[in-house]
Amino acid sequence: MTRAGKLQIFLAAGIVALALSGAPAIAHHSFAMFDQQRTLVLEGTVLQFQWTNPHVWIEMQVRDDRGKSAEWGVECTSVNMLKRRGWHHDSLHPGDRVRLLLRPLRDGSHGGQLATLLEVNGTPANLVSYH
Amino acid sequence: MDAILPDTRDSTWAARGSYLGARRLCWGLLLGLAILAGQVRGVEAQNRGSLDALYADAHQPDISGLWLVTGYFTLSPDRALPSLKPPYDTLYAKRMKAFNAGAPIDDVTANCLPPGMPHIMVVPYPFEIVQTPGRVLFLFEYSGQLRRVYLDGRRPSDDDDPTYYGFSSGHWEGSTLVVETSRIRAETQDDFSGLPHSEALVITERIRRVDHDTLEDQITLTDPKAYARPFTVTRRYQLHPTWTIGEYVCEENNRNASGANGVTGFGVPAPPKKR
Repeated sequence: MTRAGKLQIFLAAGIVALALSGAPAIAHHSFAMFDQQRTLVLEGTVLQFQWTNPHVWIEMQVRDDRGKSAEWGVECTSVNMLKRRGWHHDSLHPGDRVRLLLRPLRDGSHGGQLATLLEVNGTPANLVSYH
Repeated sequence: MDAILPDTRDSTWAARGSYLGARRLCWGLLLGLAILAGQVRGVEAQNRGSLDALYADAHQPDISGLWLVTGYFTLSPDRALPSLKPPYDTLYAKRMKAFNAGAPIDDVTANCLPPGMPHIMVVPYPFEIVQTPGRVLFLFEYSGQLRRVYLDGRRPSDDDDPTYYGFSSGHWEGSTLVVETSRIRAETQDDFSGLPHSEALVITERIRRVDHDTLEDQITLTDPKAYARPFTVTRRYQLHPTWTIGEYVCEENNRNASGANGVTGFGVPAPPKKR
């Protein structure tokens, strides 16, 4: 993710310490592809909200500071675990502007594991996916 | 009530007898109710904290309810490892190298196959314990998996094929459920780090309620083929009485299937799914 800095992504310094100290987030599969040492703040527009098992997915369009747009895949935990944390099948809709904390893929691809959904259309959401 | 009590004695005794009979009946009823209430209270006390008393068995100590593991994702909460014998040490080193490089291999769960034993006991999803006469059932939310622990003395046969969860025989030692599980498939892993075992693995669990909201499972892995000596970990589980186990079908939208190289995938955006 060498171009990460070019995107509308900002390393959340305060969050990094939290990510380092906490137990790694876990999924239905090994989570080793996600960088548990880094947390990014990702902003973009929702393309799809896949309310499915084994994982809920947020597909979003993210534009970098050069105006180049790319699609990102954001993996959340399961439907049931999200429901227990206050999520709902229509928590997100295509076109929503979202701001979230992401543990990025370590190979630099456009994707990662959702830690917390911070904001939807400017309204604080604070919906946790993984701790 | 007097009028319907049959009495062939004289009128004086009849009147008195009827009166005494009614009193005795009333006291008897009260006593009966008290005993019944006591029994109900006793059962309730035994079932205290159950998700639903119907899921417990009055003849077993109560461990029923909906539980979620606490702590780290590795089999051992403090990341301890068994002493691995060759070639399992090499296999684990290879898996850890891939894990640390961000490209985990050999994870059967990536393709929606079951985690098996003992891994299922440490996945980050809840399970429900249901107790019935002769059985303790573990109903896992993760992929709707099931463990049956037989309390009726039946044992696995040498002819039994190894399975993901093996064959579990249990008995109670006081308030501790002791379970022995064997005939487990070799290709499953002990946790998401890829800790291996062989088909010789025998798991002994000592499961008890530490307090009302806490279940403990002391898990001992004896595997003379893969481990130099038995390896014991103690896991704890938090009671979640208000939760309900949800449906979880892994094949619905699995975007993590591994490729030919065995590396867990991260799927490209899929077409919209309808629910």
